[in-house]
Amino acid sequence: MKLLIVEDEKELSKSIVAYLKQENYLCEIAPDFKTALDKTESFDYDCVLLDITLPDGNGLNVLKGLKADNKTDGVIIISAKNSIDDRIAGLNLGADDYLAKPFHLSELSARIAAVIRRRRFDGNKVLVLNELTIDTLAKTVSVNGKGVDLTRKEYDLLLYLVSNKNRVVSKNAIAEHLSGDEADVFDNFDFIYAHMKNLKKKMVQAGCEDYIKSIYGMGYKFDI
Amino acid sequence: MKLLNKSLKGHIVYSVLVLFVSMPVFYFELTSIVAEDVDEDLVAQKADLVAKMEKVIANKPFEYFQVFEPDIHIKPANTKRTKDSIYTISFFDSIAKENVPHRVLESTVVLNSEWYNITISKSLVDNDNLIFSIVMVQAIILVLIIMGLLFITRYHSKKLWKPFYATLGKLHEYKIESEKSIELEKTDVDEFADLNKTISNLTNRNHEVYLSQKEFTENASHEMQTPLAVFQSKVELLMQTTPLTSDQAELITELSEAGQRMNRLNKTLLLLSKIENNQFTDKESVNIDKAVQKLAEQYKNALNQKSISLHTRVAGDAIINANQTLIEILIGNLLSNAIRHNVQGGRINIIIEPNQFNISNTGNTKPLDASRLFQRFQKQTADTNSLGLGLEIAKRICSLYKADITYNYADSLHSFNVSFNNS
Repeated sequence: MKLLIVEDEKELSKSIVAYLKQENYLCEIAPDFKTALDKTESFDYDCVLLDITLPDGNGLNVLKGLKADNKTDGVIIISAKNSIDDRIAGLNLGADDYLAKPFHLSELSARIAAVIRRRRFDGNKVLVLNELTIDTLAKTVSVNGKGVDLTRKEYDLLLYLVSNKNRVVSKNAIAEHLSGDEADVFDNFDFIYAHMKNLKKKMVQAGCEDYIKSIYGMGYKFDI
Repeated sequence: MKLLNKSLKGHIVYSVLVLFVSMPVFYFELTSIVAEDVDEDLVAQKADLVAKMEKVIANKPFEYFQVFEPDIHIKPANTKRTKDSIYTISFFDSIAKENVPHRVLESTVVLNSEWYNITISKSLVDNDNLIFSIVMVQAIILVLIIMGLLFITRYHSKKLWKPFYATLGKLHEYKIESEKSIELEKTDVDEFADLNKTISNLTNRNHEVYLSQKEFTENASHEMQTPLAVFQSKVELLMQTTPLTSDQAELITELSEAGQRMNRLNKTLLLLSKIENNQFTDKESVNIDKAVQKLAEQYKNALNQKSISLHTRVAGDAIINANQTLIEILIGNLLSNAIRHNVQGGRINIIIEPNQFNISNTGNTKPLDASRLFQRFQKQTADTNSLGLGLEIAKRICSLYKADITYNYADSLHSFNVSFNNS
């Protein structure tokens, strides 16, 4: 998998590369508009992370260039401008997703995984991890071929942890992922504990190894 | 007191004083002059009479005088009086047919070694009428002059202060966020021209300060996002490091939470400056009832956690022409406050009426300080999750749509009322 990170803030692109290393992605960095344009014109990427505000141009023009060349690179806009207008403009231009800064790396990783899954043309939208199988199209989970009945939130939670497997996902990131803006208002993690407890119980009951580990109350990790 | 009245007050007091002092003085002065005149006249008449009497008395009885001069009475006198006396007395006048004041001179003269008592009287009615007329005319003239002066002064003052009132009116209407500086009328009075110039400069400067402050908040929030993103990403990478002790994990969790709070604060400040910059321009018909339902669904988890019962009563459709997002933020802020500051097993009432809605909740049994409630960062709890900006945002949204938001505490319920003026 090849990724292009168009981001002028060096520290942030470094963090992204470090975090995504686990997924065996091949990450390239374009720190400015010109490099981004050169790279997207010369190579194909599975996913492009695109910052809109670049020192020498507007990131949206990179997106326009991609679409004009009929390229099929997946594009996730990462922008400091969290305005609805920007979001709509980006998505209308053909971006696959939009993420406002600051974001959790775990959220970014999950979004990248989703974009890449969606763009796969071999129809393989099934994740297999040992005895665990997740069909991302049908949104079903099975252990050793036997279906596990999960609620919507539990499924989301599992997929989120799997997308960030072998990395610690913070409680904040989970709360935000599960409840969106509401997590902003109520800094309460009780509902995560409840969902997590139920998920772990169901998985273990279905015969799955207990992959989900709590890490010192800091967060959770899907350890495989 | 109005400036005009204040400047006229001195004039009026002085005029009334002059009027009230001068009228009696004038009256008494005039009366005394006339009386003196009458007295002199009486004395002269007596001298004339005595001279005539000396000539005539030898062969004519003194009643003779009476016939021609009804005002003269001559009687033989028994007692001798040396001095003449003059006094005023009222008696019946046969011509006027009423009691009329008279000035009377009484004198004793000796003629042919006989004593006579002479009284000469003179009706004062004509004099009194004259005095009265003169005083009246004077009074009318005085009143006219004073009133005229007051009127002219008032008119002039009004004209003189007109630029001042125009400036005052403009200042009343001035809004720092919408106008650059006040355009004031030209005036030929130096002081007013100076005042207008100073005000123009002042408002101009204020507006610039306001703009730069607004810009600063916006820029600061925007610029903050990148370092915040870096901070958050590094904390997340720190979480991935091994080996990790529980002490380190705790520190990282605390860092992450502090980052989260900065993040929220920043987002909220950005939202505030967006509202202030009027960046939510699209308006549509927003149904308050629908918005409340949507938010209640969103906050279902939080409501359940505290076992709060939510009661909504719709007494009429409240449909507001406003920005959907802002109205949802407004209701969301009030509702989340009602949840956050509620007690376990508490209650929230929402009443929706045409053009207004009311959200009340159980909670702390002390009323909140209403004067500080809507100010920035005025937290009335120690809750770290509360930023102290929710009500400020609510107030901004309300003022954007010219709605009134008020707080009230009654029957152990904290209640917030938002009423939209009919638009």
